[in-house]
Amino acid sequence: MGGTGVKYCGGCNPRIDRSGLVREIGKLLPPESRLSTERTAEPWETGILVCGCPVACADRPEVRRMAGQWIRVGGAAVDLESVPEDRMAHVIAEKIKALK
Amino acid sequence: MALKTPEQYEESLRKLDLNVWLMGERVKNVVDHPIIRPSMNSVKMTYALAQEPEHEDLMTATSHLTGQKINRFCHLHRNTDDLVKKVKMQRLMGQKTAACFQRCVGMDAINAVDSVTFEMDRKLGTQYHERFLRFLKRMQEEDWTVDGAMTDPKGDRNLPPGKQADPDLYTRVVKKTAEGIVVRGAKAHQTGAVNSHWILVMPTITMTEEDSDYALSFVAPADEKGILYIYGRQSCDTRKLEGGEIDVGNRQFGGHEALMVFDDVFVPWENVFMCGEHEFSGALVERFAGYHRQSYGGCKVGVGDVLIGAAALAADYNGANKASHIKDKLIEMMHLNETLYACGIACSAEGRPTASGNYLIDLLLANVCKQNVTRLPYEIARLAEDIAGGLMVTMASERDLRHPEIGKIVEKYFRGIPSVPTEHRCRVLRLIENITLGTAAVGYRTESMHGAGSPQAQRIMISRQGNLDHKKKLAKNIAGIRD
Repeated sequence: MGGTGVKYCGGCNPRIDRSGLVREIGKLLPPESRLSTERTAEPWETGILVCGCPVACADRPEVRRMAGQWIRVGGAAVDLESVPEDRMAHVIAEKIKALK
Repeated sequence: MALKTPEQYEESLRKLDLNVWLMGERVKNVVDHPIIRPSMNSVKMTYALAQEPEHEDLMTATSHLTGQKINRFCHLHRNTDDLVKKVKMQRLMGQKTAACFQRCVGMDAINAVDSVTFEMDRKLGTQYHERFLRFLKRMQEEDWTVDGAMTDPKGDRNLPPGKQADPDLYTRVVKKTAEGIVVRGAKAHQTGAVNSHWILVMPTITMTEEDSDYALSFVAPADEKGILYIYGRQSCDTRKLEGGEIDVGNRQFGGHEALMVFDDVFVPWENVFMCGEHEFSGALVERFAGYHRQSYGGCKVGVGDVLIGAAALAADYNGANKASHIKDKLIEMMHLNETLYACGIACSAEGRPTASGNYLIDLLLANVCKQNVTRLPYEIARLAEDIAGGLMVTMASERDLRHPEIGKIVEKYFRGIPSVPTEHRCRVLRLIENITLGTAAVGYRTESMHGAGSPQAQRIMISRQGNLDHKKKLAKNIAGIRD
């Protein structure tokens, strides 16, 4: 298992800037912790599920199998807790560090 | 190559030798023609978004035939989640193009043909389904855009196909040989026809035994000998020839329709999926129409998202955004738009499996969805025009705005709030014009009315599917009526 992966929803009606959020998270992580959307044979150690709205339609069993542990973003909520959009990257970066 | 890149798609179109006519001239370079090009860009976007991690969850699927990752537009729906994702994908595509992106008709056609050919083979012992699956596998592997062609010209609507003064007004078989069939006739209003690699033809209405020659379904390469396209005009289309980018409203994207003529086109049996089995023509029409009526609960919603955003921007630029009636009109537009989306999602979530294994939407809810689409976009457009103000149709041209002498006058008198450049105001008003009465109004308004069947067609289906007897029983029970 390795790395931190990013899985996006399809983005049909996003309430947050999904790719902007991922860019901000990347800036807050050490250089060796590169975020990737590339699928590998091995599941990611940690996955960030980046969904644009609270429905979080990409949160499905087959997606869950893509990583050992997940941080779930559904609109302006991280792991089902509301977070202001300008704080989301910070909150998620701290969670990634804590999960290492 | 299960997923083409957008560049590969464009190059593949360049290799086609299409016989396309536009305004009395044969088009030598279809891909780069300034009137056609924006519609090609819309289809190209279906390939581009499938490559992006931010959108692949909707834009791609796993083929049940090969296990490969494919474009969702080439996919058979395997469950209700696929049906829901289809609607979400269409909303996304509408948002990205603000136009008809054309590829839905092929997706809806393959899903209808799949289940109907399966059921036909089971009852009649024909071999259409296997043929169809062989075509579908190639379509998925090559990531083809396929035009689902249903609507015949129909001539005198009082008369069935075989009684028309001109028998070619419905597409028909004129000759059968050991190798295949020869087809003559035409399909009207063909969305995306000249941006397609293949044509999938279906009958236009339920056929009777005497019209068996018209009970016909087949595929043909878009540039097959004998196929000719006459490109449809759109309101304001020649603005695209002016070379500017403001007055067209949507410089990059558009849609198109064409009359497609079959002048004794030979089709090998391998590509024939129905030939005379009139008793299955109704099911094919009904299912294709059902899928396509579902589609409108996604694509029109996406275009509506853009139109609502444009109206809100116009209000901002006009300095009218704080007026309570403007806020209320924007709320109403969102309410109407999400109502359409709710119908698209509902008919998908209530989908059911067919005997072939692919999933069909709930036909009652899909028809309710489309019936709403025949009305609500008109109201959304009306509200957008209300908010935009009359300037959206009286504004000076881009050439005036850019003119060294009078440009400063246009700049001065067409400015709204001082913090926003006049050009931005012009751009957003032209976008509203484009969607409500320009080239994109073909898709957002009249196609909403007549595409996937005119309003009365949905009312007939709602009548059939509405379960009225059950409602009467409920009323009798509550009212204490004992028959």
